[in-house]
Parts: sequence; C-alpha cells; structure tokens
Amino acid sequence: MHQDLFETLADPTRRRIIEALRGGERQVNDIVRDAGIHQSGVSRHLRILNEAGFVSVRPDGQRRLYALRPEPFRELDSWLADYRRMWEARLDRFGAALEKNRRDRGATQKERRK
Amino acid sequence: MNDANPSAAGAARQEKVVVERTYRAAIEELWELWTTKAGFESWWGPEGFRVEVHAMEARAGGALEYDMIADAPDAIAAMERMGQPLSHPTHGHFSEFRPFERLVLVHAIDFIDGIEPYESIIEVDFHALGDQSRMLVTLHPHRDPHWTRMAAEGFGSQITKLDRRFGRAA
Repeated sequence: MHQDLFETLADPTRRRIIEALRGGERQVNDIVRDAGIHQSGVSRHLRILNEAGFVSVRPDGQRRLYALRPEPFRELDSWLADYRRMWEARLDRFGAALEKNRRDRGATQKERRK
Repeated sequence: MNDANPSAAGAARQEKVVVERTYRAAIEELWELWTTKAGFESWWGPEGFRVEVHAMEARAGGALEYDMIADAPDAIAAMERMGQPLSHPTHGHFSEFRPFERLVLVHAIDFIDGIEPYESIIEVDFHALGDQSRMLVTLHPHRDPHWTRMAAEGFGSQITKLDRRFGRAA
C-alpha cells in the first residue's frame, strides 16, 4: 500500500495541477495557465505526481502531454469507503448506547413510581 | 474524457469525511456520550475494543485520556497477528468545547512504529430537529499503515453491523 498517496495530495499546488488535468490531457504551458502556478515549480510537481502514479506522461512531437491515471484515485476511494464504514459502525454503537440509556432511565422512573 | 475524473475531483478536494446521523434523543443525551466517563466508555472504540477512561476534563483544553483495550476474541487475535499490544494508552484533548453545540476532539497519534506522530482531529456538531438531534462528525483521515491494516482486518465491518442489526431485530 502507498501510504504517501495522501501526502502527495496534501500539497495545494499539486491539487491545482490535478484539477487542471480533469478536463483531459494537457501540456505544461496549459497546466501552468489553468492551475495559476509558477512555471518554475511545475516540472518538479509533475514528476512527483508521475512517480506516485497520479499522472501519466507521453511525448507528442516536441511536446510532453500529461494526463490523470485512475488507479490511485480508485485506491483512495476504496480506502475512504472502508474508513467511512468503520465510522458508520461506531455511530451505530453510539445510537445503541443512546437507546440503552433511555431504557435504563425509563426503568428507573418506573421503579420510583412504584 | 478520462474515467479518472469524477474520483479525481473528490480525491483532490478530499481532506475530510463527514458522517451524519439523526437520533431520536435530546442533544443533552448525545453530549453526555462524548463528555462523561460512563458515556464515552459506553460506545467509543472500534468493534471488538472497549475503553477505560482515566481522565475526562469536560472543558475547552481539557484532557481526555484512556486505554483502548482489545476485548472480543477476534480483536485480540487480530492485535496479536499484527504484533500489537492488547491495550494502548491514548491521549487526547478537547480543543473546542461549546456545550450542546460543538466539540473538537484531538488525539495525539504517537504510538505507531515508523510513523511521525500526528494529530487526529474529530469535529462534532449538534443540531436540534424537533424531538430529534442531528449529529455531524467531521473526520480528517490520515492514511497511515496502522489504520489501513485495521480497516483490512475488518473492524467495524459492514457484516458485523448487519449481524448485529438482525440480532437486535430477532
């Protein structure tokens, strides 16, 4: 498992690059323009995104075209789904504890009325 | 179009998970489950674990300290498989505490080998809805290998939940 998927996305510039790539393949100049970031850092961020598997790159004549790859996003989705299920179960127990308190209190009140 | 797109949008923005529930109870009853020793012990912890609270300072900046203890046989077996102790001392505090409205619980995650200590933040917001109460829990998931393995071991799995639900209905 790549524990660094979240770390890769933690960087706001890299999130802007990903947003810029949502429309499809882009070359560097377009990414710089769409993401509103400075040219100087963009190759480093694209390299990190490529190494983490978020972004693919292919040559097209003189240009290099960058695109999103679905795999890491699917992996994140499935991890998050598990995480969410764990919390759904926790809140089920929270609800059960609420009900139990209510029943216990109801019982105590009946006792008192006797 | 690229089929990564819908997920990419979510993942790029993903920094938190919101879980929401509405309970047929007063907000005071919900609040008690977060802010008293007995209340907290009655539900906290993953499936198969129980907690023993040592400090519960119900105020802003107040400490919350407890042991998280593997309790059910399968949880004990899973912790042993993972080479983990059966009981973890856990340290937290309330960074926000506005009775019956909102609390923020911060845990110091400093017990995982090979992982830089970090803070896990849980925000809880309460809203009254007639005779019901709505609770929003906002989580900031940190995908460290510990939680990944816990998830893989299936704590709090959907199946356990269903078993319990059918068990209750029977």
